[in-house]
Amino acid sequence: MLTIALALSSQGQNVSQEDFNALKETVNNLAHAVENLEKTHAVDEQTHHKDIEVIQQLRQKLGETQQTAVEAQKQAAEAQKQAGDAQKQAVEAATAAPTKPILAGPIDEATVNHNFMILGDAEFQFAKTFGQPGFPGAFLLADFAPIFLYRGGDNVLFEAGFDFILQNNAPASPGATTTVNLSFAQLDYLLNDYMTLAAGNLLLPLGTYSQRGAGWLNKFPDDPLPRDELPGAGVGAQILGAIPVGQEGKMLNYAVYGVNGPSSADGTGNASALDLGGNVGLRTDNAVANLHGNPSGGGRVGLFIPYKPHYDVEIGISGQSGPWDNAGKHLWSAGVVDASLHLGSYVEVKGEYIRSKYGSDDAGLVEPGGWWLQAGYKLAGLNLEFPGVNNIELVGRYDTAHDGLGIKSQRYSVGYIYYLSNTLLFEGDYEFREGNDPGFQGNELILQLSYGF
Amino acid sequence: MSRITGFKSDARGKLGVAVGTLACIACILCAKGADTNAPDTKTVQSNATAVEPAKELPKKTLSGAELYSMHCNRCHPERYPTERTAAQWKTILMHMRVRANLPAEQARTILKYLQENSGR
Repeated sequence: MLTIALALSSQGQNVSQEDFNALKETVNNLAHAVENLEKTHAVDEQTHHKDIEVIQQLRQKLGETQQTAVEAQKQAAEAQKQAGDAQKQAVEAATAAPTKPILAGPIDEATVNHNFMILGDAEFQFAKTFGQPGFPGAFLLADFAPIFLYRGGDNVLFEAGFDFILQNNAPASPGATTTVNLSFAQLDYLLNDYMTLAAGNLLLPLGTYSQRGAGWLNKFPDDPLPRDELPGAGVGAQILGAIPVGQEGKMLNYAVYGVNGPSSADGTGNASALDLGGNVGLRTDNAVANLHGNPSGGGRVGLFIPYKPHYDVEIGISGQSGPWDNAGKHLWSAGVVDASLHLGSYVEVKGEYIRSKYGSDDAGLVEPGGWWLQAGYKLAGLNLEFPGVNNIELVGRYDTAHDGLGIKSQRYSVGYIYYLSNTLLFEGDYEFREGNDPGFQGNELILQLSYGF
Repeated sequence: MSRITGFKSDARGKLGVAVGTLACIACILCAKGADTNAPDTKTVQSNATAVEPAKELPKKTLSGAELYSMHCNRCHPERYPTERTAAQWKTILMHMRVRANLPAEQARTILKYLQENSGR
C-alpha cells in the first residue's frame, strides 16, 4: 500500500484530492479490519490452548482408567486362582480328616432374653428392753428375705419376696417355729414407656416405705410406728409409670391400683375386727371369697426434683379407700404424704404423715394416724482422717402413732450405721419409748447386722 | 383396753415444725437458691484453699453416669457395675424401674451405663 502511495505521489499531479481521500479511507478501513482480525486471532489462540489442555487431561484420565481396568482384571484373575486353590484344599482336607462340630461363640450377656436371679436381704439382731421384767436381751434372726426375680423377655418380669422368720413357740409349747410369709408376688408387664401393669400380691404405694423400706434400707432395725395403721400389701392390679419433666432429671410418677382391701376378721363391723392385710381372696377352706365383695381403690402421685447430683427432693401424696366389713356399710380410707430430701452425699431427711379413718358398728368413726421423721448424716462429710469414721452414719428418728381408740405411742430413736461394705451394715439404736400401750413400755437397745444381696 | 386421752407432748406442734422445715428446704431447692460449700466427696483439706462447691446439673440430656448417681443411691448404698453381669443388670433394672417408678428412658440409659461398665 505504501509503494502504491509512493508511486502515486511521484505522479502527484495525476492524483486528485478525492482519490487520495478515498484511498486514505480504504487504508484506514483495512487497518481496522486487520486489528479486529488480530484480536480474534488472539482469542482463538487462547481457546485453542485451553482445548489442548483439556485434551491432554482427558488423555491422562483415559490412560489411568485403562491402567485401573488392567489391574482389576489381573486381581480378578488372581482371586479366581486363589478360590480355585482354596476349593482344592477344602476338598483335600475334607477327605483327609473327619468333620468337627462348629463351636458356638461366647454368648453376649446383654442379649440374653431370660434371666433368673435372687436378691434380698437378711437381718440378725440383738435386742434388750430396759425397765421391763421378763424382757431380757436376746439374739434373734429378725428376717431372711429373699426376692426371686425371673425376667421372661424384654417386657415381662415376675418378682416375689419372702420373709423367713424364726419365732419361739413358748409359752404355749417348747421349741421354735419357722414362719414363711409371702411379702409380695407380682407379675410386671411393661406396656409402654409410660405404663406398666403389675398384678398379684402388690406392695402398695401408700407412701414409699413399703416399696423402699427393706431391712437393709431403712436405717433403723424396726419400722416406724404409724406404718401399723396401713396395709403393706394387697392382692389386685396396678398401673404405674413415670413421666420425665424436662431434661434435668425431674419426673412425675404415678400409680393407680385396685385391691381386695381391708376386711373383717370375723365378718362384723366391730372396730376390733378390722383386718388390714388379711383379705387375699382365698380362704383356708379353699373357698374363693373377697369377704365383702367390694374392692378398694387407691393411688399415688409423686414429684421428684433433682437440683444437683445428690441434691434432690421428692414429695408424694397417696390414698386408698373402700368398704371393709362384710355388709359393706363402712368405708376404710387412708391418706399419706411422704417426702424425702437429700442435701449432698451425706445428708438425708425423710418422713411420712399418715391419716386413716374407718366406720365401725361399735366405736363409730375411728381415726388412727401418726407421722414419722428421720434424718441421717454420714461422717465422711466432716473430712476427718480418723480410721473408720468415714464409714459411720449417725441417724435419728421421731415417730408417733395413735390407733384412734385411745392408745398412743411415741418414740425417740438415736443410732448409727457402720458400713462394713456397701451391702453389709452394722446398725444400732437406742429407743426412748413413751405412751399408754401396754406392749410398748420401757426403752430398748437393738443391734443389727444386715446384709443386702 | 382402757381409753386414755392424755398425751405427753404436742405432736401437732412438732409436725408443724417438721413439715414447715421440709417445705422451706424444698422451696429453696426449687428456687435454686440453696448452695453449700460442703464438698460432695471426700477431699483432702489443703492449708490454703476453700472447697469448691458442687456444680449444678448441666442443661443437657443426662448421661448414664449422672442418672446413676442421681437415682441409684437414694434408697440404698451405691452398687458397683462390676457386681453383676450385663444380663443380671437388665433384670435388676426392670425390678428397680417398677420399685422406684423410674422413667423408661432414664432406666434404659442407666442400664446401658451399668452394662458397659460391668466388664462381664
